[in-house]
Amino acid sequence: MKRLWLIPVVCVVLVIPAAVVLASSGEGAFDGVVGSIESKYHVRATRIPFMGLVSLISHKATYGGVSGMHVAEIENFQTQVDGEELNRMVEQKLGAGWARMIRETSRNGKEQTLIFVHPEGNRMGMFIVDKDGNEMDVVQISVDPDHLNQSIGQYEHSHHDGDKQGDDSE
Amino acid sequence: MKDHVLVFVLGAAAWAVPLFAQTSPLPLPPAVEKDLAARASDVTEVTLNKNMLGFASKFMNGKDKDEAATQQLIQGLDGIYVRSYEFDKEGQYSMDEIEKLRQYFETSEWSPIVRTREHGEITDVMVKLVNGESHGMFILSAERKELTIVLILGPIRMEQLSELRGIGGLGGALGSMGGAQHGPHGKNKDKDKTGDNDHDKNKDNNQDQSKDTKDGGQ
Repeated sequence: MKRLWLIPVVCVVLVIPAAVVLASSGEGAFDGVVGSIESKYHVRATRIPFMGLVSLISHKATYGGVSGMHVAEIENFQTQVDGEELNRMVEQKLGAGWARMIRETSRNGKEQTLIFVHPEGNRMGMFIVDKDGNEMDVVQISVDPDHLNQSIGQYEHSHHDGDKQGDDSE
Repeated sequence: MKDHVLVFVLGAAAWAVPLFAQTSPLPLPPAVEKDLAARASDVTEVTLNKNMLGFASKFMNGKDKDEAATQQLIQGLDGIYVRSYEFDKEGQYSMDEIEKLRQYFETSEWSPIVRTREHGEITDVMVKLVNGESHGMFILSAERKELTIVLILGPIRMEQLSELRGIGGLGGALGSMGGAQHGPHGKNKDKDKTGDNDHDKNKDNNQDQSKDTKDGGQ
């Protein structure tokens, strides 16, 4: 009887790693792309620690609108990037399920943007590679447009309400 | 047993071939696309197929009248493809290349509705007519140091183009359309300055255009 307190503790201990593991599914493609960029351009990516947990929190905060977040940031990216080569590399690492939605590339290699998407039932996986000057960001997220729209809508309504109140007070 | 394996392998191969056969979704000669991209200093490519458009449409507020109309329009489309090339200097693309691009769409299905040539700037708009209704639109806008190609597949009318301005890359390209948003059956003579015989294909739409010929389709 005294050990009943152990039940919630054990549950938490079991659930959190499971959630973190679930949240970090799809990490293979992400790590593959980041690893390729690191080795090809001799750069070092900074990965945000506890991203699985951050992802879980964002999932809750957006009512399921955003989940499966992975972020890597590469600073001091001095090497010139061939847009075609970068695109080929990302495409190859992501695999056949991903389709490129946007590609923006400059010949001098300073600006490169690639956005790939991957349908996941009601959700859409998004993979973003963005290089601006000497910085590159690689982001992977899974978005549920319905839920995300709903949570964005909440802020829009409160924003409009705020505007109205402001107008009234004037 | 071997037969079953063979049938399975052939079936799998038949299913997989279209997946691997996917090339550029923009129905242009890939060589032209590649050549232009190689010469351009900045390239922007937007590729939105039906799935992606469906996804994008979910972000629109169905309760708002304007957004609901746009949402409905987007959901009906099969794809939006934009290619924009910016060049460092003039003369990085030739008139032959522009002609090749145009000729690619000069089939019985596609009808030219707008063609302007002014001060080295070219605008071509073609529509795909199926049973008299517009089921696609091709826009080619060539400036001295910039070339933009927009392909919209699916049922769309000229007057609906403005609703798509919010979609990445389309704003600039559609901006060049200016006042030519009166539709293939409409009064588009303000913008139509074509001078060659392309309009024979859609005489019924453009009978009044020959009167407005200016520069003889150089």
